[in-house]
Amino acid sequence: MAIQLLNGLVYGALLFTVASGLALMFGLRRIVNFAHGSLYMLGAYIGYSASKLFGFWIGLIAAGACLAALGILLDGAVFRPLHRRGPLTTLLVTFGLALIAEDLVLAVWGKDTLSLAAPSVLARELSLFGTRFPAYRLMMIAFGAIAAIALLLWLKGTRVGLFVRAASYDPVVSAVQGINTDRVSALVVAVSAALAGMSGVVAAPLLSLAPSMASDILVDSFIVVVVGGLGSVGGAFITSLVLGQINVLGVVFMPELTALLPFFLMIAVLVWKPAGLAGERV
Amino acid sequence: MPALEVKNVSKSYGGFTALNGVNLTVATGEIRALIGPNGAGKSTLIDVISGRADNWTGEVRLFDRDISRLAASRRRLIGVSRSFQRTSIFPNLTVRCQLRLAAERVGDRDGDSILEEFGLAALADRNGGAIAYGDQRRLDLALALVGRPPLLLLDEPAAGLSLEESKHLAAHLRTLAQRWNVTVLLVEHDMEVVFSIADQITVLQLGTVLAQGVADDIRRNRSVVEAYLGSMA
Amino acid sequence: MSAGRFLAWVVLASIGPAIAALTTSALAQSLIAQATFSAMFALGVGLLLRQNGMVSFGHAAFFGLPGYMLGALLPLNLLPVEVMICATVVLIGILAFIIGLVIVRAHGIAFGMLTLAVGQAVYEAATRLRGLTGGNDGLSLRLPKHLFGLSLKTLQQPAGMLTVSWLVMVAMLAIVSVFAASRFGILTEAIRDNEERARFLGYRTLLPRAAVLGLSAAVTAVGGVMFALYNAFISPDNVHWTASGSALIMAILGGSGAPWGPVAGAFVYFFLKESLDSFTTHWLSIIGAALIIITVVFPAGLAGLVPWAIALRQREAHIARA
Repeated sequence: MAIQLLNGLVYGALLFTVASGLALMFGLRRIVNFAHGSLYMLGAYIGYSASKLFGFWIGLIAAGACLAALGILLDGAVFRPLHRRGPLTTLLVTFGLALIAEDLVLAVWGKDTLSLAAPSVLARELSLFGTRFPAYRLMMIAFGAIAAIALLLWLKGTRVGLFVRAASYDPVVSAVQGINTDRVSALVVAVSAALAGMSGVVAAPLLSLAPSMASDILVDSFIVVVVGGLGSVGGAFITSLVLGQINVLGVVFMPELTALLPFFLMIAVLVWKPAGLAGERV
Repeated sequence: MPALEVKNVSKSYGGFTALNGVNLTVATGEIRALIGPNGAGKSTLIDVISGRADNWTGEVRLFDRDISRLAASRRRLIGVSRSFQRTSIFPNLTVRCQLRLAAERVGDRDGDSILEEFGLAALADRNGGAIAYGDQRRLDLALALVGRPPLLLLDEPAAGLSLEESKHLAAHLRTLAQRWNVTVLLVEHDMEVVFSIADQITVLQLGTVLAQGVADDIRRNRSVVEAYLGSMA
Repeated sequence: MSAGRFLAWVVLASIGPAIAALTTSALAQSLIAQATFSAMFALGVGLLLRQNGMVSFGHAAFFGLPGYMLGALLPLNLLPVEVMICATVVLIGILAFIIGLVIVRAHGIAFGMLTLAVGQAVYEAATRLRGLTGGNDGLSLRLPKHLFGLSLKTLQQPAGMLTVSWLVMVAMLAIVSVFAASRFGILTEAIRDNEERARFLGYRTLLPRAAVLGLSAAVTAVGGVMFALYNAFISPDNVHWTASGSALIMAILGGSGAPWGPVAGAFVYFFLKESLDSFTTHWLSIIGAALIIITVVFPAGLAGLVPWAIALRQREAHIARA
């Protein structure tokens, strides 16, 4: 049972590192990035190629760096110029980008499933609660935990974090009070993209790589941010953990319906709280 | 019977108290102005009466009927109407179309006469988003006044208007309210407008009623002058 | 209705049968028939976009479910097949209305995210519930020899289906046009423009928005029924979100400003894809780039070209006179 909880935590941590970026971008700019799953996918594939040459850890960092750069580009070329056009335009444009990203992955890496080996240090099993548990999965949980703590410190402890929280509470008021969304958004989008990209690399040894990985993670991330409350990193954190557990428990108790459980959770929460668990809070 | 009674209304969001036990009675046919410094709770009070605010306590009565729990759409049907501080119209519908939509709902068969009344006839077939700002403000007001609602709540109707336009608006409101027997509660920063049309003035400060009376009383009230008018003069 | 308008509808309705009668290529006829299914799919998506201002990434669920429902229910012989077929469309409309009551209350832009989740839930169900859906192998439909007075053979031949489906498509377009011009249609447009204002004019806004989703799903479902009858087969691919994405692109390409926009968009999309597929494998990039360009540069789509062309001609005439 404890092992199952840990397995749930593995997927929950992964979901959080992807979905928190979506929540941050929504909080700051009131936009939904349909290409967020593609960032995760591109990170995974870049990490895959880089690890072939330089090993897993360099691959992870390279993916983070590339995706951060891509994030800055995305902010400067898409989010900023389209800011006045409303969220629907950004949603459709990022949908177009997601299609292009998929084509790119197909062209460069092919449509076959690829697998990335876990780093040798972690390619073993540990004795935990009387059973064996892969060390690599513990690393995935650690990655999620580090990301969560870093985000918490960033949002609560720095000026930029204060900006982000103020903007997600009320973009109009914070704009009036001289908070410059454009100035912080390149950083926020870069951080979100890097987190998504690194999540892709971290997930690769467990889930393997395929062009469909973008939409798989996107659907669950969307559920996480809607249920958690759009723009709320805290809400995304709690929802990710719950969804991770639901996933694992579902596999144990009702394997046929597992994939539908997040959907039922979403409907149940929305009936109860249309604005999501956290409402409008960060 | 008073048109509007607000009894002990309080509302806070976060840790901030926007309204703190406000009482207010507006007689039928009266034009009442609500003034006070920024953050005094004027717009919040309008929101409470019109059904836009939630999580507040107290009671709102319209012609002695408790409307506190009614949805906004229901309140419009029984006679509470409002305009918005930031103009609220339908940008992609024609002026005529949106006024008709408003008229149909309240059973007003003569949707087009309001076009004339607000000088919008020439713009009837233009889209709401394609007309000038001053015209949009008049459209907003016209939407609120369709069907001659017994109670009209106005949130800064003169905001963004020129001196000339404000004067015209004040005169127009005054005559319309009399002609159609509409009770008006308006929030306004433009003291010219307030003093020229309000029968009575209520001053709010930090969520409570600071003073109330006819224009001259308010002008002479020392605490009001200190709290509000003084800083404006 | 004016005589000119009536004539235009008659001409539009007769194009399909004319193509069926005049062309001999079964391949071309089959393509056009497929395009009419997609056109109805996109018509539903465009209706939602036009009357609710919302994008759906999950309409494939409403397109594919009729096939699954018929596949599962027809062997039970509960009701006459024709009744069953009509009932699936109505049921899907009601289902979407109920889902709408929940998801239209969420923040506006969240709607797109929620439709994706709804659509993928149906996809997951289609792949996992093997006993009912045949899983990834798909499900064959056992159809009777005669349907609505037509022989099944006719319905499953390109020329026959093209004729029938074209007429159904024009009927759907007519229904959507009538709806858009109705009082209720205008009310939903008003709610799309400014929901709060509509509430303060005394209108309740939740039910109309959910009703638009219901109607939009039913229109898409009619396309799905035609698809299922023609192929007598349904598979998870038909309910995958990429199918929803294509229909959304058709609607954007055609433009949601006029009811016929998404229909035109579907035909353009279809023929573009057919002609480009032999040249390039990068269809995804092409359509992705096209979507971005249209969204940013020409948000009104093909339907926006007509008023634009009229305005241009008027301006030219004006200049000529001056």
